[in-house]
Formats: sequence, structure tokens, C-alpha cells
Amino acid sequence: MDMLINPTVVELSRLQFALTALYHFLFVPLTLGMTFILATMETVYVITGKQIYKEMTQFWGKLFGINFALGVATGLTMEFEFGTNWSMYSHFVGDIFGTPLAIEGLMAFFMESTFVGVMFFGWERMSRKAHLVVTYLVALGSNLSALWILIANGFMQDPQGGTFDPNTMRMQFSSFIELIFNPDAQAKFVHTSIAGFVTGSMFVMGISAYYMLTNKRKDMALRSFRIATLFGVISSIGVITLGDALGYIDGQKQPTKLAAMEAIWNTDYNTVSASWNLIAIPSRSEQKNIFEVSIPYILTPLLTHSETTVIPGIIQLEQEAKPKIVNGIKAMIALKEYNLDRSNTQALSTFKQYENDMGYGFLAMQFAPDQDLKKINATNLPSVLDKTAKDTIPNVWVEFWAFRLMVAAGFFMLALFAFAAYFSLKNEIEKHPTLLKLAMWSIPLPWVACEFGWITAENGRQPWTVFGWLPTFVSASSHSVGYMVFSLIGFTLLYSSFIAAELYLMFKYARLGPQDDHHGHGHGSAPAGGGMAGQPVFAKPSMDRK
Amino acid sequence: MKNLLTFIGLAAIMVLSLFLAVITGDYGPWYFAWLVGTTMVVLISAAGAIMFDRQDEEQQQKQGSIH
Repeated sequence: MDMLINPTVVELSRLQFALTALYHFLFVPLTLGMTFILATMETVYVITGKQIYKEMTQFWGKLFGINFALGVATGLTMEFEFGTNWSMYSHFVGDIFGTPLAIEGLMAFFMESTFVGVMFFGWERMSRKAHLVVTYLVALGSNLSALWILIANGFMQDPQGGTFDPNTMRMQFSSFIELIFNPDAQAKFVHTSIAGFVTGSMFVMGISAYYMLTNKRKDMALRSFRIATLFGVISSIGVITLGDALGYIDGQKQPTKLAAMEAIWNTDYNTVSASWNLIAIPSRSEQKNIFEVSIPYILTPLLTHSETTVIPGIIQLEQEAKPKIVNGIKAMIALKEYNLDRSNTQALSTFKQYENDMGYGFLAMQFAPDQDLKKINATNLPSVLDKTAKDTIPNVWVEFWAFRLMVAAGFFMLALFAFAAYFSLKNEIEKHPTLLKLAMWSIPLPWVACEFGWITAENGRQPWTVFGWLPTFVSASSHSVGYMVFSLIGFTLLYSSFIAAELYLMFKYARLGPQDDHHGHGHGSAPAGGGMAGQPVFAKPSMDRK
Repeated sequence: MKNLLTFIGLAAIMVLSLFLAVITGDYGPWYFAWLVGTTMVVLISAAGAIMFDRQDEEQQQKQGSIH
């Protein structure tokens, strides 16, 4: 704690983690959704015995395989990043945070990785039913993997299941049950998993639309389109419902995130007529919205599911933070004294008295002279309080717009899936080429929504890594600026090459389509696709092709 | 014997499902919602595909009777 923390290193560490996480999450949602869509297609194959559903499972499985391999590659580095770039964070909450990460690796990831191999290579080596069980295990494994990661993230958003031990200077487990059943983790897991279902659905629907527009394997395209639209429309309803639940839960635990998300600067005590900002241009310096379009009577029921709950504005939240900061400073000074002399029971008693606000003491460090809380006196205290209180609010502009872009994309996709499902169920989808084109061009939308969703969740938690306990400012490792810039450039280049490889392979095999690919194999060309090499893809002619 | 083993196996799955439903229903309502919802979305989508085949067959029969 005595070494000065370099804010540039902290910002570069944040940028690097944001970059790697956002890159990684370009691959994750497709894996989460595609596995269950593949399981659905294979279920129909096992029930009906129709060869075309096997071909569909194998074709879409090939595109899934490309994505899966690159998703694993980008995910591995992130777990190491906690240790290399966020060593203070890892020390402080490693006992708790490391547990779900370890379970994810040992249980879910191993399960999914083992069975994904069996899924790709086991078509001719096991019975239909046994292979279907394997496909479901891959789907379950990939989603369980997400579950444990999101349990870890849930702890960062709302730290339940851990207590701070002044003797070890770290948070330690108090309840594993509280950790895994944390409401934030629950809602976030379901929201994220279903967002993956939406991504998988949009991917299959968009590419199937392309095949219909180009008259490629329409038998397969029509069936894939039907499955994807039904999968998508139900999942979109689910993702919006869970988004609302997550917002409600976060709003109770993180009022600063909620206020920033809705750009609420002043508390409106007239809860019934309180206005909801449809669009706004928030100004941090002026602490108001320079421009806004608001709709009255919506805000309170939308955010709190009641008519009477008051939603505190940013200015009020800053004022409410000040007494916590004073308590936090006292707690941190007492903690330091206790660590210098473990027999100092007075210091321990003072720490215990203000323990719940100790995170705010950490937060005040960056504004204290020489980052030393003991140097805060009556003269500089008001300035430290003002700066720290303002720092408790996340970037309002980013939070407000990231949230709105995610929501707008979500509702657009729901409408698109609804129309597409309606015309597909009526068997009239081919009569609507504009809708097919829209479906094709909307393929990137779920990724956009997912990325903005994560920006909303993580930017909204700032300035904390563990909400209310550990600020981001003290969580980073003490690397040099040069080291951080070098590794940041390295990650950017490496991950960009992964994205380029993914896009190249996806476009190549999606454009080729099952029919062309079949011809390629038929002429004895080397089977591409790495992991899927050698498997019989679309080799058997189907009786029910149109 | 095979029938008995199948019965025991299915009974074990049922007990496990009930146990999971009670635990997740009490402590993790959203986890429970995910289990039920995911099962539902898979079944409805699969039913949609089977429905497509039926519609396709009916259409082909209609075309056959016209010609």
C-alpha cells in the first residue's frame, strides 16, 4: 500500500482487460447458442430418422467448430490476466473468485471439451441416441462453463458469500451457497446464456436466408430457418425478461449503475410522474442532461416494478457517499495500525466499527496527498471527499448509450424473429425476400447487443472491481507503462488475427454451403475445417430433397 | 430384467429432477427458469421442424393430386 499507484498503468490494465474480454465474447455467445440448436436438430433426426437433420447438424456443427476453437484460444489468456495484471485483486478475493473459476475449468470446460471431440468424431462410432446424449452434454457443458464464470462475475457485482479477514488482509469464504445462489449471478447467467441462444438463432437464420436467396440447398435452409426463428423468438422474449430482472436486481445493489444507466441526475420524489429518458446527452461536468427526450409516468414502474419507490439521482448518491468515505478512511487507517501491531485491539475495534465502508477508504487513497490516508487533514478533507464522491459514479454517457443500444438491438431482433417465425410457420417465407435480406444483414446485431451489454454491466460497476469493497484503482498490478503498452499491442495484434481467421473461415464455409462442400469432399479434396476432418459431411443423398 | 433396469434408471432420473427442481425452485428461481425455459425452447423448435415436414408432405400430396 505504501508504493504509489500509477493511474496510467491502471487505465492501461483496464483497457487491456476490456479489449481481451470483448474480443473473447465475440466467440462465446455463438457457442452457447449453437450447441443447443445443434442438439435440437439432432433431436429431430433421432425422433424422425430423416437423414437431412443429420446433415444439418453436421453442417452447422462445422461452423460451430471453427468458432469453438477460437473461443477457447481467446478465453485461456483471460484467466492468466487476473494474475498478471490484477494481482492485488487476485490477492484480495482470490479465495472466493478463484473457486468458481477452478470449478469452471475442471468441471464444465473439461466436460465440454471432451464431449465436443466425441460429438465431431463419434457419428459413425456410436448409436444415434448415444450421440444425441453427447451433443446435449456439449451444450450443457458450454453453458455450465458460462454459469461458473458468471457466478464469479456475480460476486464482483454483489459480493455475497465472503467476509474480509483483517489478519490475512483478504476476503475469505463464508458461504458457498450464497455465492452460487447470488441473485445477480442467477439473473446474469440466464440473461447471458439466452443472449447466446439469440446469437445462435440469428446466425442460423441469417445464413439460411442467404441460402434461400441464392437457391442453395433450400430443403436444409427452410428447415434450419424454421428451427432458428422459433428458437430466436422465444429466446428474445427470455433475454428481454431477464434483462429487466437483472436491471431490477442491479438497481437495488448498485444504485449508482442504475442512475447512470438512466442518466438521472436529480431525485424525483414525485414517483408517479417521474420521467424516463428515452434519449439524452448527459454532461458530467454540468451534472445534468444537455438535451433529453423524456416520457413521464414510466420511470418508476419500469425500474422498480412499483409506483412508490424513489430512485435516487446521481447528485444525491454523491452526497450519500461522503459519510461512507469518512468511515472508510477511519477503517483503513485503523487496519494499517492493526497490521503494524497485531496486539492493538483498539485499532481492530475501530476497524470493525467501520469495516463495511472500508472500500470507500481504499477509493479515497487516490485523492489523498501521496496516496496516504494519514495525510488527510481538516484542510484537504473537503477536497478529498468531493473528488472521491464524484468518483463513485460510473461514466454516465457510456453507461446510458451502451444500455440503450443493447436494448434497441434486442427489441429489433425480437420483432425480426417474430415476423420470420410467423411467415415460416405459414410456409410463406420465400415470398418475402426483403425479410430474408433483413435477416441476413442482421447477423452482426446479437454480437453488437452482447458487447454493449457487457459494457453496460462492467462500466456500470466502476469504480469498483468488487462493488463497495475493492476499487479498480488499487486492484491492478504494479507493472511499468512500457510493459503494459507492449502487451496491449501484442494482444490486439494476436486477437485481431483470431478474428480475421474466424471471419475468413466462417465466410468461406458459409458461402460454400453444404452442397458445394459436399462436392468438394466427393472429388476427394482434402477435408478442411481442422477438427472435423474426415467426418462424413452431407455425403449421403437425401430422398426428401426438393 | 431390462425393463426393470430401465424403470430404475428412469425413476432415478425423476428423483434427481425433483430434487433439482426443489433446490433450484427454493434457492435459485432463475436457474430453475433456465432449466425449464431451455427445455421448452428446444422442444418447441424441434416440434416446429417436425411440423415443417408435415406441411411439406401435405403440400406435395396436394401437388400430386392436382397433377
